[in-house]
Amino acid sequence: MEIDTENASTEIRGWLRENVTGGRDVPDDELLIENGVLTSLQTVELVMFMEDRFGIVVEDEELNEETFGSIRSIAELVASKTG
Amino acid sequence: MRPEFTLHDLLDNSVERDPDGVAIVDGNTEYTYGAMDRQSNALCAALGEAGVKKGDRVGVYMEKSWEAIVAMLAASRAGAAYVNINPLFKAPQVAYIAQDCDVRVVIGDSAKLDELEAGTLSRTAFYKGDPPREEAAGSLVNLAEVLGSGDAPKETRQVSEVDLGTILYTSGSTGMPKGVATSQRNIVAGAQIVSTYLNNTKEDRILSALPLNFDAGMSQFTTALRVGATLVLQRSRLPGDLIRGLRRHGITGLTGVPPLWALLLRSAKSIEEEPLEDLRYIANTGGRIPQANLDELRRLLEPAGTKIYLMYGLTEAFRSTYLPPEEVQRGSTCIGKAIPDTEILVINKDGQECAPGEVGELVHRGPTVAMGYWGKQEATRRAYRTNPVAPPELLDVERVVYSGDLVRRDEEGFLYFIGREDAMIKTQGYRLSPEEVESLLVGSEAVREACAFGVEDPEVGYHVYAVVSLKDGEDESSVETIREYVVKNGPPYMVPREIFVQHELPKTGSGKIDRKGLSDAFASR
Repeated sequence: MEIDTENASTEIRGWLRENVTGGRDVPDDELLIENGVLTSLQTVELVMFMEDRFGIVVEDEELNEETFGSIRSIAELVASKTG
Repeated sequence: MRPEFTLHDLLDNSVERDPDGVAIVDGNTEYTYGAMDRQSNALCAALGEAGVKKGDRVGVYMEKSWEAIVAMLAASRAGAAYVNINPLFKAPQVAYIAQDCDVRVVIGDSAKLDELEAGTLSRTAFYKGDPPREEAAGSLVNLAEVLGSGDAPKETRQVSEVDLGTILYTSGSTGMPKGVATSQRNIVAGAQIVSTYLNNTKEDRILSALPLNFDAGMSQFTTALRVGATLVLQRSRLPGDLIRGLRRHGITGLTGVPPLWALLLRSAKSIEEEPLEDLRYIANTGGRIPQANLDELRRLLEPAGTKIYLMYGLTEAFRSTYLPPEEVQRGSTCIGKAIPDTEILVINKDGQECAPGEVGELVHRGPTVAMGYWGKQEATRRAYRTNPVAPPELLDVERVVYSGDLVRRDEEGFLYFIGREDAMIKTQGYRLSPEEVESLLVGSEAVREACAFGVEDPEVGYHVYAVVSLKDGEDESSVETIREYVVKNGPPYMVPREIFVQHELPKTGSGKIDRKGLSDAFASR
């Protein structure tokens, strides 16, 4: 599967719905860390999911509130690593 | 310096010492002690106008922020008790707390207020952000306008150290969360004691990475306030943000729970390359840190001069023991000795003090022993008992806290944590009772009966597991629906890692669900 920001967003949105919001769809620009949607431990679990699903490696320095700020920014990170 | 009786006395002293000193850093904004004084006065005046009377409870339901800090101080000035509600809590938990201690007025983030069931808050809500929907509370007031108003209370009420200062919600081994009623005296004594043994000064820059609804998180604020230090509010605990926060603000002190250290250790390489020269101390609380992580922290931090404190506290008595940094080689099960002005007893089943090496219950006596559980007389009587070593002439005078934690004391007087005999689940630094998880699960339409228990894990303490039986017409595929329900209606740490389905849950002789049996059967799956 070709991975771009579009299908990376879809996957991440699905993971959030299942593991974080309990069915609520998160808008692509909603602030995840700043607004307390995503806890640190959940973010680490999301990274494990992404590494497994997209075959990428996320560096610990990249684990910060800008890169993981929103679905859009996370998807851009994924695309930059797979493109 | 005035005598220290109340939380706002601590503020008044710091304002007098240096009104331009930076009290709080929130994001890119610095707030001085002078601003803290002015804005807490303005909010105190507005609380009075909203009908808050002495002794009332004021809820604070927001992400850690400047406004959350001002809210606590405003309530204290008004002689009301602040109730910091975990921002991770969802509508059912907030409704429970609002009902349990009759929260009159809430100061909250609009987005959070919006999620509450209509009717949860019948009185005023002071909102931060865009106005929430009208049904969110009886009446709505814009917090930013109040804080900027420059108002001051027309009359000041006498607040005494024996007044209720705050209610800290925590869980026990059974039932729903209980509110630990904490007096102004308890708060101030806690700040005096902790700032003494951590040697906090005005020069300290403390990173607040723990939630304010947690006793140790609140303690970082009160100790900083007392000495006039700077408290840097850190919302994100992601590894990249933690290390950046520590460096950018030249942090001198950091208190955390075991999972936080695991996140910090992900930056090991960065710390090796550029040691944290400013970091004077770190302090662990909220559970045993894995020995390997403690060793790694010592290797990375001690050469640069950072001291490592291992602390132990229970919300019922705020803080209890600490292991001084010079003794840290005793290992991660050692919880040290009593904090200043406090006595820790180890009491056996016969109510006698244990001999060295003998395992008994940790019993705390001192000025941080809280008033009791709000509205729960029976539970209060069980935990807050008379001093077992008091002279007969003073038998029914003093209350001490029976912790439920089993410890032993060695020949040199150092205490070691052994464990607990009850079903309390300690996860990610939080206390959780199985019933809380079970009641959440049963709230889902598919579940008939539920049983929850903890399964030990070196990183987070315990993982929550659950076994459920389903209502007629449901099948294994319902697990996803149940999980969805739990995720939506509870904080993340309450969501079971595994949900197993069993046709019928086994019962004990007395007809209760056999939690022990299920836990033994499913723990290794």
